[in-house]
Amino acid sequence: MNTNNNVYTVIYTTVIVVIVAALLAFVSQSLKGKQDANEKADTISQMLTSAQYGTKEEISGLGNAAVLEKYSQEIEKAFVIDLEGNVVRELEGNEVYSAKQLKRQNYNIKGGPNKTGEPELPVFVFKNGRTVVPIYGAGLWGPIWGYMSFETDLKTIGGAYFDHESETAGLGARIKDDPSFQAEFVGEVADFSSENVFDIVKGGAPKDAEGKSVVDNKIDAISGATMTSQGLDAAIDTWLAAYAKYFVNNAPKQEESCCGEETETCEGACEESNQEVEE
Amino acid sequence: MDAKLKETILNPIFKGNPITVLVLGICSSLAVTVTLKGALVMALSVIVVTGISSLILSLLRKTIPGRVRIIVQLVVVAMMVILVDQILKSFEATYAIDKQLSVYIGLIITNCIVMGRIEAFALGNKPWPSFLDGVANGAGYGLILLVVAFFRELLGSGTLFGIDILNRFGYVPNNLVILPPFALILLGCIVWVQRSIQKDLQEK
Repeated sequence: MNTNNNVYTVIYTTVIVVIVAALLAFVSQSLKGKQDANEKADTISQMLTSAQYGTKEEISGLGNAAVLEKYSQEIEKAFVIDLEGNVVRELEGNEVYSAKQLKRQNYNIKGGPNKTGEPELPVFVFKNGRTVVPIYGAGLWGPIWGYMSFETDLKTIGGAYFDHESETAGLGARIKDDPSFQAEFVGEVADFSSENVFDIVKGGAPKDAEGKSVVDNKIDAISGATMTSQGLDAAIDTWLAAYAKYFVNNAPKQEESCCGEETETCEGACEESNQEVEE
Repeated sequence: MDAKLKETILNPIFKGNPITVLVLGICSSLAVTVTLKGALVMALSVIVVTGISSLILSLLRKTIPGRVRIIVQLVVVAMMVILVDQILKSFEATYAIDKQLSVYIGLIITNCIVMGRIEAFALGNKPWPSFLDGVANGAGYGLILLVVAFFRELLGSGTLFGIDILNRFGYVPNNLVILPPFALILLGCIVWVQRSIQKDLQEK
Protein backbone atom coordinates (compact mmCIF):
# COMPACT_ATOMS: atom_id res chain seq x y z
CA MET A 1 0.00 0.00 0.00
CA ASN A 2 1.26 3.47 -0.86
CA THR A 3 1.23 5.34 2.44
CA ASN A 4 2.50 8.56 0.85
CA ASN A 5 -0.70 9.13 -1.11
CA ASN A 6 -2.33 12.48 -0.22
CA VAL A 7 -5.82 11.10 0.28
CA TYR A 8 -4.48 8.32 2.51
CA THR A 9 -2.49 10.81 4.58
CA VAL A 10 -5.51 13.07 5.16
CA ILE A 11 -7.84 10.20 6.03
CA TYR A 12 -5.25 8.58 8.28
CA THR A 13 -4.55 11.71 10.34
CA THR A 14 -8.27 12.51 10.59
CA VAL A 15 -9.11 9.04 11.87
CA ILE A 16 -6.26 9.06 14.40
CA VAL A 17 -7.21 12.46 15.74
CA VAL A 18 -10.91 11.58 16.01
CA ILE A 19 -10.14 8.33 17.84
CA VAL A 20 -7.78 10.07 20.28
CA ALA A 21 -10.22 12.93 20.87
CA ALA A 22 -13.11 10.55 21.54
CA LEU A 23 -11.00 8.49 23.95
CA LEU A 24 -9.82 11.54 25.87
CA ALA A 25 -13.31 13.02 26.06
CA PHE A 26 -14.63 9.72 27.39
CA VAL A 27 -11.88 9.39 30.02
CA SER A 28 -12.22 13.02 31.08
CA GLN A 29 -15.97 12.66 31.52
CA SER A 30 -15.78 9.40 33.42
CA LEU A 31 -13.07 10.64 35.82
CA LYS A 32 -14.51 14.10 36.39
CA GLY A 33 -16.58 13.08 39.40
CA LYS A 34 -13.57 11.63 41.21
CA GLN A 35 -11.38 14.61 40.39
CA ASP A 36 -13.98 17.07 41.63
CA ALA A 37 -14.38 15.06 44.82
CA ASN A 38 -10.60 15.17 45.39
CA GLU A 39 -10.47 18.90 44.76
CA LYS A 40 -13.39 19.53 47.10
CA ALA A 41 -11.91 17.45 49.91
CA ASP A 42 -8.63 19.31 49.42
CA THR A 43 -10.40 22.69 49.63
CA ILE A 44 -12.26 21.64 52.76
CA SER A 45 -9.09 20.36 54.41
CA GLN A 46 -7.46 23.74 53.70
CA MET A 47 -10.36 25.51 55.43
CA LEU A 48 -10.24 23.14 58.41
CA THR A 49 -6.49 23.77 58.65
CA SER A 50 -6.99 27.53 58.76
CA ALA A 51 -9.67 27.07 61.45
CA GLN A 52 -7.02 25.20 63.48
CA TYR A 53 -8.55 21.73 63.48
CA GLY A 54 -5.09 20.29 62.89
CA THR A 55 -2.24 20.51 60.40
CA LYS A 56 -2.93 20.09 56.69
CA GLU A 57 -1.18 16.71 56.67
CA GLU A 58 -3.24 15.44 59.60
CA ILE A 59 -6.52 16.52 58.02
CA SER A 60 -5.73 15.40 54.46
CA GLY A 61 -4.42 12.13 55.87
CA LEU A 62 -7.91 11.27 57.11
CA GLY A 63 -9.04 10.59 53.56
CA ASN A 64 -11.77 12.28 51.52
CA ALA A 65 -14.80 10.74 53.24
CA ALA A 66 -13.58 11.56 56.74
CA VAL A 67 -12.70 15.13 55.74
CA LEU A 68 -16.23 15.72 54.42
CA GLU A 69 -17.71 14.19 57.55
CA LYS A 70 -15.57 16.31 59.85
CA TYR A 71 -16.62 19.39 57.89
CA SER A 72 -20.34 18.65 58.18
CA GLN A 73 -19.87 18.01 61.91
CA GLU A 74 -17.91 21.15 62.58
CA ILE A 75 -19.58 23.71 60.33
CA GLU A 76 -21.94 26.04 62.16
CA LYS A 77 -23.21 28.01 59.19
CA ALA A 78 -21.96 28.86 55.71
CA PHE A 79 -23.30 31.61 53.50
CA VAL A 80 -22.45 34.03 50.73
CA ILE A 81 -22.40 37.78 51.31
CA ASP A 82 -22.12 40.77 49.00
CA LEU A 83 -19.75 43.74 49.30
CA GLU A 84 -22.16 45.46 51.70
CA GLY A 85 -21.96 42.54 54.10
CA ASN A 86 -25.56 41.36 53.51
CA VAL A 87 -26.22 37.64 53.32
CA VAL A 88 -27.18 36.77 49.74
CA ARG A 89 -27.76 33.05 50.14
CA GLU A 90 -26.97 30.11 52.38
CA LEU A 91 -24.49 27.46 51.24
CA GLU A 92 -26.27 24.11 51.31
CA GLY A 93 -24.67 20.79 52.18
CA ASN A 94 -20.96 20.68 51.53
CA GLU A 95 -20.84 23.47 48.97
CA VAL A 96 -17.50 25.27 49.09
CA TYR A 97 -15.57 27.68 46.90
CA SER A 98 -12.56 26.02 45.29
CA ALA A 99 -9.63 27.91 43.76
CA LYS A 100 -11.31 27.96 40.34
CA GLN A 101 -14.44 29.58 41.72
CA LEU A 102 -12.38 32.02 43.77
CA LYS A 103 -10.63 33.10 40.58
CA ARG A 104 -13.95 34.21 39.09
CA GLN A 105 -14.86 36.07 42.30
CA ASN A 106 -11.43 37.70 42.31
CA TYR A 107 -12.24 39.23 38.91
CA ASN A 108 -15.62 40.33 40.21
CA ILE A 109 -14.08 42.04 43.23
CA LYS A 110 -11.42 43.82 41.22
CA GLY A 111 -13.73 44.79 38.36
CA GLY A 112 -12.37 45.34 34.87
CA PRO A 113 -13.15 43.53 31.63
CA ASN A 114 -13.25 40.05 33.22
CA LYS A 115 -16.00 40.97 35.65
CA THR A 116 -19.00 38.69 35.18
CA GLY A 117 -21.28 39.83 37.98
CA GLU A 118 -21.48 41.00 41.55
CA PRO A 119 -18.86 39.41 43.85
CA GLU A 120 -20.03 36.40 45.84
CA LEU A 121 -18.07 36.29 49.08
CA PRO A 122 -18.35 33.00 50.97
CA VAL A 123 -18.16 32.98 54.78
CA PHE A 124 -17.76 29.80 56.81
CA VAL A 125 -18.44 29.87 60.55
CA PHE A 126 -17.16 26.83 62.43
CA LYS A 127 -18.36 25.44 65.74
CA ASN A 128 -15.09 26.37 67.46
CA GLY A 129 -16.10 30.00 66.92
CA ARG A 130 -13.73 30.75 64.08
CA THR A 131 -14.91 32.40 60.89
CA VAL A 132 -13.10 31.30 57.73
CA VAL A 133 -12.87 33.43 54.59
CA PRO A 134 -10.89 32.76 51.40
CA ILE A 135 -8.31 34.95 49.68
CA TYR A 136 -7.07 34.73 46.09
CA GLY A 137 -4.45 36.56 44.05
CA ALA A 138 -1.38 36.38 41.86
CA GLY A 139 1.96 35.09 43.08
CA LEU A 140 5.15 35.20 41.06
CA TRP A 141 4.51 32.34 38.63
CA GLY A 142 0.83 31.61 39.02
CA PRO A 143 -2.21 31.98 41.23
CA ILE A 144 -2.02 31.80 45.01
CA TRP A 145 -5.00 31.39 47.30
CA GLY A 146 -5.80 30.38 50.81
CA TYR A 147 -8.10 30.61 53.78
CA MET A 148 -7.84 32.77 56.88
CA SER A 149 -9.81 32.25 60.06
CA PHE A 150 -10.84 34.92 62.55
CA GLU A 151 -11.69 34.57 66.24
CA THR A 152 -15.12 35.53 67.57
CA ASP A 153 -14.10 39.20 67.85
CA LEU A 154 -13.86 39.13 64.04
CA LYS A 155 -10.50 40.82 63.86
CA THR A 156 -7.96 38.59 65.62
CA ILE A 157 -6.56 36.01 63.20
CA GLY A 158 -7.02 32.45 64.39
CA GLY A 159 -5.11 30.73 61.63
CA ALA A 160 -4.19 30.77 57.97
CA TYR A 161 -3.45 28.28 55.23
CA PHE A 162 -2.16 29.21 51.80
CA ASP A 163 -1.77 27.25 48.62
CA HIS A 164 -0.25 28.00 45.24
CA GLU A 165 -0.02 26.57 41.78
CA SER A 166 3.63 27.04 40.83
CA GLU A 167 5.64 29.18 43.24
CA THR A 168 9.37 28.42 43.57
CA ALA A 169 10.04 25.42 45.79
CA GLY A 170 11.89 26.44 48.94
CA LEU A 171 11.20 30.15 48.44
CA GLY A 172 7.72 31.30 47.41
CA ALA A 173 6.35 27.82 48.02
CA ARG A 174 6.99 28.38 51.72
CA ILE A 175 3.64 30.17 51.97
CA LYS A 176 2.23 26.65 51.73
CA ASP A 177 5.01 24.39 52.98
CA ASP A 178 6.34 26.36 55.93
CA PRO A 179 4.06 25.98 58.97
CA SER A 180 6.06 28.64 60.84
CA PHE A 181 5.14 31.25 58.21
CA GLN A 182 1.45 30.42 58.55
CA ALA A 183 1.81 30.42 62.33
CA GLU A 184 3.04 34.02 62.21
CA PHE A 185 -0.49 35.12 61.33
CA VAL A 186 -2.00 33.65 64.47
CA GLY A 187 -2.85 36.31 67.05
CA GLU A 188 -2.26 39.27 64.75
CA VAL A 189 -5.13 41.71 64.32
CA ALA A 190 -6.50 42.80 60.97
CA ASP A 191 -7.29 46.50 60.62
CA PHE A 192 -10.57 46.63 58.72
CA SER A 193 -10.78 50.40 58.92
CA SER A 194 -7.87 50.99 56.55
CA GLU A 195 -7.19 49.91 52.99
CA ASN A 196 -4.09 48.09 54.17
CA VAL A 197 -6.06 45.53 56.11
CA PHE A 198 -3.02 43.36 56.63
CA ASP A 199 0.65 43.86 55.79
CA ILE A 200 3.40 41.41 54.98
CA VAL A 201 6.42 43.64 55.34
CA LYS A 202 9.90 43.35 53.98
CA GLY A 203 12.63 44.18 56.44
CA GLY A 204 10.80 42.93 59.48
CA ALA A 205 7.57 43.61 61.30
CA PRO A 206 7.77 45.48 64.63
CA LYS A 207 9.09 43.22 67.42
CA ASP A 208 8.76 43.44 71.17
CA ALA A 209 11.62 43.06 73.64
CA GLU A 210 11.49 39.27 73.49
CA GLY A 211 11.71 39.27 69.70
CA LYS A 212 8.10 38.25 69.21
CA SER A 213 5.99 40.00 66.62
CA VAL A 214 3.99 42.85 68.14
CA VAL A 215 0.23 42.32 67.96
CA ASP A 216 -0.67 44.50 64.99
CA ASN A 217 -1.56 43.93 61.36
CA LYS A 218 2.01 43.26 60.24
CA ILE A 219 4.13 40.12 59.84
CA ASP A 220 7.51 39.36 58.27
CA ALA A 221 7.73 38.62 54.56
CA ILE A 222 9.66 35.58 53.36
CA SER A 223 13.24 36.40 52.43
CA GLY A 224 14.07 35.36 48.88
CA ALA A 225 10.39 35.42 47.95
CA THR A 226 9.66 39.11 47.57
CA MET A 227 7.26 38.75 44.66
CA THR A 228 5.26 35.96 46.28
CA SER A 229 5.10 37.88 49.55
CA GLN A 230 3.90 41.00 47.76
CA GLY A 231 1.34 38.96 45.83
CA LEU A 232 0.06 37.38 49.02
CA ASP A 233 -0.10 40.78 50.70
CA ALA A 234 -2.10 42.19 47.80
CA ALA A 235 -4.41 39.16 47.73
CA ILE A 236 -5.12 39.46 51.46
CA ASP A 237 -5.71 43.21 51.24
CA THR A 238 -8.04 42.91 48.26
CA TRP A 239 -10.14 40.15 49.74
CA LEU A 240 -10.28 41.29 53.35
CA ALA A 241 -11.19 44.80 52.19
CA ALA A 242 -14.12 43.22 50.33
CA TYR A 243 -15.21 41.55 53.56
CA ALA A 244 -14.53 44.62 55.70
CA LYS A 245 -18.17 45.74 56.05
CA TYR A 246 -19.30 42.29 57.12
CA PHE A 247 -16.56 42.03 59.73
CA VAL A 248 -17.09 45.52 61.11
CA ASN A 249 -20.90 45.21 61.21
CA ASN A 250 -20.89 41.81 62.86
CA ALA A 251 -18.08 42.34 65.34
CA PRO A 252 -19.30 42.12 68.93
CA LYS A 253 -20.10 45.61 70.22
CA GLN A 254 -17.70 47.02 72.76
CA GLU A 255 -19.26 48.31 75.96
CA GLU A 256 -17.78 51.77 75.70
CA SER A 257 -18.38 53.22 72.32
CA CYS A 258 -15.33 55.09 71.18
CA CYS A 259 -15.54 58.84 70.79
CA GLY A 260 -19.19 58.64 71.79
CA GLU A 261 -20.18 57.91 68.23
CA GLU A 262 -22.13 54.81 67.38
CA THR A 263 -21.20 54.59 63.76
CA GLU A 264 -20.25 51.50 61.81
CA THR A 265 -16.73 52.67 61.22
CA CYS A 266 -16.42 53.79 64.78
CA GLU A 267 -12.80 52.78 65.25
CA GLY A 268 -11.54 54.47 62.14
CA ALA A 269 -13.55 57.60 62.80
CA CYS A 270 -12.12 57.73 66.28
CA GLU A 271 -8.53 57.61 65.07
CA GLU A 272 -9.23 60.23 62.46
CA SER A 273 -10.77 62.61 64.95
CA ASN A 274 -7.83 62.07 67.29
CA GLN A 275 -5.44 62.97 64.53
CA GLU A 276 -7.40 66.12 63.83
CA VAL A 277 -7.13 67.09 67.46
CA GLU A 278 -3.37 66.52 67.41
CA GLU A 279 -2.98 68.64 64.31
CA MET B 1 15.51 -14.24 26.71
CA ASP B 2 17.83 -13.69 23.80
CA ALA B 3 20.90 -11.48 24.09
CA LYS B 4 19.56 -8.71 21.87
CA LEU B 5 16.42 -8.24 23.95
CA LYS B 6 18.48 -8.25 27.12
CA GLU B 7 20.70 -5.56 25.64
CA THR B 8 17.59 -3.52 24.78
CA ILE B 9 16.55 -3.55 28.40
CA LEU B 10 19.92 -3.13 30.13
CA ASN B 11 21.60 -0.62 27.82
CA PRO B 12 19.41 2.41 28.70
CA ILE B 13 19.73 1.80 32.44
CA PHE B 14 23.45 2.48 32.60
CA LYS B 15 25.63 2.24 29.48
CA GLY B 16 23.32 4.26 27.25
CA ASN B 17 21.44 6.17 29.94
CA PRO B 18 19.15 8.77 28.35
CA ILE B 19 20.14 11.54 30.78
CA THR B 20 23.84 11.02 31.40
CA VAL B 21 24.90 9.67 28.01
CA LEU B 22 22.29 10.83 25.49
CA VAL B 23 21.72 14.06 27.49
CA LEU B 24 17.95 13.96 26.94
CA GLY B 25 15.33 15.03 29.48
CA ILE B 26 17.67 17.36 31.39
CA CYS B 27 15.08 20.08 31.81
CA SER B 28 12.48 18.07 33.71
CA SER B 29 15.15 16.35 35.79
CA LEU B 30 16.03 19.78 37.22
CA ALA B 31 12.43 20.63 37.96
CA VAL B 32 10.95 17.57 39.64
CA THR B 33 13.83 16.37 41.81
CA VAL B 34 13.21 18.54 44.87
CA THR B 35 11.48 15.66 46.66
CA LEU B 36 11.86 11.89 46.27
CA LYS B 37 8.09 11.40 46.18
CA GLY B 38 7.72 13.79 43.25
CA ALA B 39 10.65 12.19 41.43
CA LEU B 40 9.19 8.71 41.93
CA VAL B 41 5.78 9.66 40.54
CA MET B 42 7.42 11.48 37.64
CA ALA B 43 9.63 8.46 36.91
CA LEU B 44 6.67 6.08 36.90
CA SER B 45 4.66 8.45 34.70
CA VAL B 46 7.49 8.69 32.16
CA ILE B 47 7.91 4.89 32.14
CA VAL B 48 4.21 4.45 31.38
CA VAL B 49 4.23 7.13 28.67
CA THR B 50 7.40 5.95 26.90
CA GLY B 51 6.45 2.27 27.15
CA ILE B 52 2.88 2.49 25.91
CA SER B 53 3.42 5.14 23.23
CA SER B 54 6.35 3.11 21.84
CA LEU B 55 4.07 0.06 21.80
CA ILE B 56 1.20 1.85 20.05
CA LEU B 57 3.43 3.50 17.45
CA SER B 58 5.32 0.29 16.79
CA LEU B 59 1.98 -1.43 16.09
CA LEU B 60 1.04 1.40 13.72
CA ARG B 61 4.50 1.77 12.17
CA LYS B 62 3.69 0.20 8.79
CA THR B 63 0.54 2.30 8.29
CA ILE B 64 1.87 5.73 9.30
CA PRO B 65 2.36 8.06 6.30
CA GLY B 66 6.03 9.06 6.26
CA ARG B 67 5.41 12.75 5.76
CA VAL B 68 3.24 13.19 8.86
CA ARG B 69 4.88 10.65 11.13
CA ILE B 70 6.09 13.24 13.67
CA ILE B 71 2.55 14.65 13.97
CA VAL B 72 1.12 11.17 14.47
CA GLN B 73 3.76 10.45 17.13
CA LEU B 74 2.92 13.71 18.84
CA VAL B 75 -0.80 12.93 18.93
CA VAL B 76 -0.20 9.53 20.50
CA VAL B 77 2.30 10.83 23.05
CA ALA B 78 0.04 13.75 23.96
CA MET B 79 -2.84 11.35 24.46
CA MET B 80 -0.78 9.20 26.83
CA VAL B 81 0.41 12.21 28.83
CA ILE B 82 -3.12 13.56 29.26
CA LEU B 83 -4.35 10.12 30.30
CA VAL B 84 -1.62 9.82 32.94
CA ASP B 85 -2.37 13.31 34.25
CA GLN B 86 -6.11 12.63 34.43
CA ILE B 87 -5.59 9.33 36.21
CA LEU B 88 -3.17 10.84 38.76
CA LYS B 89 -5.76 13.53 39.50
CA SER B 90 -8.49 10.93 40.09
CA PHE B 91 -6.95 8.96 42.93
CA GLU B 92 -6.90 10.21 46.50
CA ALA B 93 -3.39 8.91 47.00
CA THR B 94 -1.84 10.66 44.01
CA TYR B 95 -3.93 13.85 43.90
CA ALA B 96 -1.59 15.79 46.19
CA ILE B 97 1.50 14.73 44.24
CA ASP B 98 -0.10 15.65 40.94
CA LYS B 99 -0.83 19.06 42.41
CA GLN B 100 2.78 19.39 43.48
CA LEU B 101 4.17 18.36 40.07
CA SER B 102 1.57 20.59 38.38
CA VAL B 103 2.76 21.47 34.90
CA TYR B 104 5.62 18.99 34.77
CA ILE B 105 3.38 15.99 34.20
CA GLY B 106 1.93 17.79 31.18
CA LEU B 107 5.45 18.63 30.04
CA ILE B 108 6.40 14.95 29.72
CA ILE B 109 5.17 15.52 26.18
CA THR B 110 8.18 17.73 25.52
CA ASN B 111 10.59 15.24 27.09
CA CYS B 112 13.02 14.38 24.32
CA ILE B 113 13.35 10.80 25.55
CA VAL B 114 9.79 9.94 24.49
CA MET B 115 9.91 11.24 20.93
CA GLY B 116 13.59 10.31 20.59
CA ARG B 117 13.04 6.63 21.34
CA ILE B 118 9.94 6.43 19.17
CA GLU B 119 11.74 7.95 16.19
CA ALA B 120 14.95 5.98 16.74
CA PHE B 121 13.59 2.62 17.83
CA ALA B 122 9.84 2.02 17.82
CA LEU B 123 9.29 2.94 14.16
CA GLY B 124 11.81 0.30 13.04
CA ASN B 125 11.19 -2.55 15.46
CA LYS B 126 8.51 -5.05 16.44
CA PRO B 127 6.02 -4.06 19.22
CA TRP B 128 7.44 -6.16 22.07
CA PRO B 129 11.07 -4.96 21.82
CA SER B 130 9.76 -1.39 21.29
CA PHE B 131 7.69 -1.60 24.46
CA LEU B 132 10.70 -2.88 26.42
CA ASP B 133 12.92 -0.18 24.94
CA GLY B 134 10.42 2.49 26.00
CA VAL B 135 10.10 1.10 29.52
CA ALA B 136 13.87 0.69 29.91
CA ASN B 137 14.58 4.24 28.76
CA GLY B 138 11.92 5.54 31.14
CA ALA B 139 13.55 3.50 33.89
CA GLY B 140 17.02 4.82 33.05
CA TYR B 141 15.63 8.34 33.26
CA GLY B 142 13.82 7.53 36.51
CA LEU B 143 16.94 6.07 38.10
CA ILE B 144 18.92 9.30 37.61
CA LEU B 145 15.89 11.29 38.81
CA LEU B 146 15.79 9.28 42.04
CA VAL B 147 19.53 9.63 42.67
CA VAL B 148 19.38 13.41 42.18
CA ALA B 149 16.20 13.70 44.26
CA PHE B 150 17.79 11.64 47.06
CA PHE B 151 20.58 14.17 47.55
CA ARG B 152 18.40 17.22 46.95
CA GLU B 153 15.75 16.21 49.45
CA LEU B 154 18.30 15.03 52.02
CA LEU B 155 20.44 18.18 51.86
CA GLY B 156 17.74 20.67 50.86
CA SER B 157 14.98 19.71 53.28
CA GLY B 158 16.74 17.30 55.63
CA THR B 159 14.13 14.63 54.90
CA LEU B 160 13.64 11.53 52.72
CA PHE B 161 10.13 10.79 51.41
CA GLY B 162 9.00 13.51 53.84
CA ILE B 163 10.44 11.66 56.85
CA ASP B 164 12.82 13.71 58.99
CA ILE B 165 16.39 12.40 58.75
CA LEU B 166 18.89 15.21 59.32
CA ASN B 167 16.80 17.97 60.92
CA ARG B 168 16.62 16.19 64.25
CA PHE B 169 20.42 16.49 64.51
CA GLY B 170 20.18 20.25 64.15
CA TYR B 171 20.87 20.31 60.40
CA VAL B 172 19.93 23.58 58.71
CA PRO B 173 18.44 22.85 55.26
CA ASN B 174 20.51 24.31 52.44
CA ASN B 175 18.40 26.51 50.17
CA LEU B 176 20.86 26.31 47.26
CA VAL B 177 20.24 22.58 46.99
CA ILE B 178 16.54 23.22 46.41
CA LEU B 179 17.17 25.58 43.49
CA PRO B 180 17.51 24.08 39.98
CA PRO B 181 21.22 24.96 39.47
CA PHE B 182 22.22 22.48 42.14
CA ALA B 183 20.49 19.67 40.23
CA LEU B 184 22.72 20.55 37.29
CA ILE B 185 25.81 20.35 39.52
CA LEU B 186 24.68 16.93 40.80
CA LEU B 187 24.00 15.73 37.26
CA GLY B 188 27.51 16.82 36.31
CA CYS B 189 28.91 14.77 39.18
CA ILE B 190 26.90 11.72 38.06
CA VAL B 191 28.21 12.06 34.50
CA TRP B 192 31.74 12.38 35.93
CA VAL B 193 31.35 9.17 37.93
CA GLN B 194 29.89 7.32 34.96
CA ARG B 195 32.66 8.42 32.61
CA SER B 196 35.33 7.36 35.07
CA ILE B 197 33.82 3.88 35.13
CA GLN B 198 33.03 3.68 31.42
CA LYS B 199 36.30 4.55 29.69
CA ASP B 200 34.86 4.27 26.17
CA LEU B 201 32.73 7.41 26.80
CA GLN B 202 35.82 9.57 27.31
CA GLU B 203 36.81 11.75 24.38
CA LYS B 204 40.46 11.55 23.40
